[in-house]
Amino acid sequence: MKLGFSPQEEAFRAECADWLQAQMTGEFRDIRGITTLTAKAERRKEWEQHLGEHGWSCIGWPKAWGGRDATLAEQVIFAEEYARAGVPGRVNHIGIELAGPTILAFGTEEQKRRFLPGIAAGSTIFCQGFSEPGAGSDLASVRTKGRLEGGEWVVNGQKIWTSLAHISDWIFVVTRTEDGSKGPKGLTFLMMPLDQPGIEVRGITQINGDAEFNETFFTDARCPADSMIGGVGDGWKIAMGLLAFERGVSTLGQQMAFRNELDEIIAAARANGAAGDPLIRQRIARAEIGLRLMRYGALRMLSNTDHSKIDGAALTYKIQWATWRRSLGELAMDVLGQAGEIAEGEAYEWGTLPNLFLYSRADTIYGGTNQIQRNLIAERGLALPREPRGDL
Amino acid sequence: MDFRFTDDQLLLATSVREYLAGTHGTQVLRRLDEQGNRDPAIWQGLVDMGLTGVLVPEALGGLGMGLVEAALIAVECGRACLAEPLVDTAFVAAPWLVREGRTDAIAGIVDGSRKIVPAHAINPWLADGEGARLQSVDPLRNLTTAPHDASEDPYLLDLGALMSAAQLVGIADAMLEQATDYAKLRSQFGQPIGAFQAIKHQLASCMVAIEFARPVVWRAAAALQAGGAHAATHVSHAKLAATDAAMLTAETAIQVHGAMGYTYEVDLHFWMKRAWALSGAWGSRAFHVRRLDEAVIGGTIPIGPEHTFA
Ligand SMILES: Cc1cc2nc3c(=O)[nH]c(=O)nc-3n(C[C@H](O)[C@H](O)[C@H](O)COP(=O)(O)OP(=O)(O)OC[C@H]3O[C@@H](n4cnc5c(N)ncnc54)[C@H](O)[C@@H]3O)c2cc1C
Repeated sequence: MKLGFSPQEEAFRAECADWLQAQMTGEFRDIRGITTLTAKAERRKEWEQHLGEHGWSCIGWPKAWGGRDATLAEQVIFAEEYARAGVPGRVNHIGIELAGPTILAFGTEEQKRRFLPGIAAGSTIFCQGFSEPGAGSDLASVRTKGRLEGGEWVVNGQKIWTSLAHISDWIFVVTRTEDGSKGPKGLTFLMMPLDQPGIEVRGITQINGDAEFNETFFTDARCPADSMIGGVGDGWKIAMGLLAFERGVSTLGQQMAFRNELDEIIAAARANGAAGDPLIRQRIARAEIGLRLMRYGALRMLSNTDHSKIDGAALTYKIQWATWRRSLGELAMDVLGQAGEIAEGEAYEWGTLPNLFLYSRADTIYGGTNQIQRNLIAERGLALPREPRGDL
Repeated sequence: MDFRFTDDQLLLATSVREYLAGTHGTQVLRRLDEQGNRDPAIWQGLVDMGLTGVLVPEALGGLGMGLVEAALIAVECGRACLAEPLVDTAFVAAPWLVREGRTDAIAGIVDGSRKIVPAHAINPWLADGEGARLQSVDPLRNLTTAPHDASEDPYLLDLGALMSAAQLVGIADAMLEQATDYAKLRSQFGQPIGAFQAIKHQLASCMVAIEFARPVVWRAAAALQAGGAHAATHVSHAKLAATDAAMLTAETAIQVHGAMGYTYEVDLHFWMKRAWALSGAWGSRAFHVRRLDEAVIGGTIPIGPEHTFA
């Protein structure tokens, strides 16, 4: 175990901080501090491209594909400085953190050449088409159909909850390509351009009034035959590999955003006197401890290189952060009191802390609900008997 | 001691529940949300049922009932997510004005021509007041800035807190019912999600919280009606129990709905936001915990075995 950063790493930190601060006080100051996923989407696409131009869009990727081969420590540092500078979340986080690594791990050389430069340059924005109306927690029951026809995949069906599909260029979808197949068998993983007559995207409004996610309809939608990652029938394996990337280095950036949220809560509690309430003080102290627990947990998970064994840190990470943040949302509301219930302007639009409360209701749902996480921990981590399935 | 209600009381609650179920369903909530929140026809219906006069003495043209009956009706208003300020006007303002001897506005309350939401110093905002409009997280509440001459009367505060607690119980009931219905309807892994113990146990925990909040609210209503020395403590207890039950149920109901529960398109969010708004109104959790803490540690309420059921 080695704690702390080397002088080289500290120099790298200074470089990141200087560059990010300069952007957020200069050319991109208009997007500084945005906390929703959809606000100023066009400007944030420009920001993705700006990151790409300056080699900061995917520093953990190999140099050959637009990255910097950054070490884990360097990625931690960049994530910290990114959040510290108040840079908003990446509108292409699915491209950078999920699609890119999946293509790097499972794609052909030709696919790497086709997709990676655009993702790294911030000009190809990706979204994720896994969930369907009938396939949420039970992802393996997807029904969207794909068939090969004249050298193309033709896709019919519906995805739902597709975050940012309305501002994306490409979508990856899990499709059922073997007629009559059930469960994880007979699925194929496809990459499809969104801008085509066969795909229609309709927004769904969330409880906070924002419309981050969508329904995505496929009616004879098409993509070239070689837009498939892995082979026909490999869809489940690829999808599971992709979900493992979800627990990657991005979790560190996410924690820095959490850090900012907690700091804002502490500042609010000091300003309005809530910090004088012993119950609030204790909850703030616990939130602080929880954040540190997560940080060590994430570092432990990321430094694990032996992926052949069940990794307790990786298995327990999602439920820990999601539950922590859901209570952080509640703490924020209790600190703000009735002031948290009022919008700043006349529109149904919410400031950082009320939005934190609303948004954190979803943390325990997406990326595997808390119940599914507990099932996984119990069945994989503790080898308890599997839950019986109703239909098998 | 008798925790039972009379047939008349039960009939009253049932008839309000049925009336609201028939006239104030979710399609009405959505219409109100789109069209400015208030509909004179809904208000008139409540007036025609006599609800604005429930707590007004018969001599002043009302029904002369008590806070227990009013609390039962407030539960139903919560269940229906009623946006009209019936509870504020008829169950908070009316009894307070009567007690204060300010009866000039009472006739207007009873006949429905006046909606009065009393301003209390503990609330920074006022529902349906005359000040500048504010956007509440609860899209169906018309909030306005509070006037400067807000009252500091503790009786008013207790009325407001009690009636919020009663509404919170009804709101929690409604959310639990929606989540339970959804758990029977939604299938994953080849069976209704309600068949999974993880879902059952969460819903059962909500039921425990709600069932234990309910009698505390009744107890507080009876205490405030009787004007007992410790009525305020009972009210705080009720507000805390009802807030906890409603917030737990809100969180659980969203979770059980999965991503659906996180949308504006599924109606659940209306109740969740009302629960949020009412849990902060008329004294936050911290305020009411402090009142209990002062009563228990400070020794102003008698404790010991013989007082357990007091
Ligand atoms: C903000 C947000 C963004 C999202 N973005 C995307 C996206 O970009 N792309 C995408 O593909 N999807 C996305 N999703 C969808 C997300 O992956 C699903 O919501 C999630 O998998 C749960 O599925 P569901 O909503 O259908 O809930 P359901 O699976 O219907 O679950 C309902 C309830 O049943 C419980 N349950 C289900 N099965 C079991 C079981 N076996 N045991 C115990 N309890 C169980 C769940 O825990 C939950 O409480 C997003 C969701 C949200 C909320």
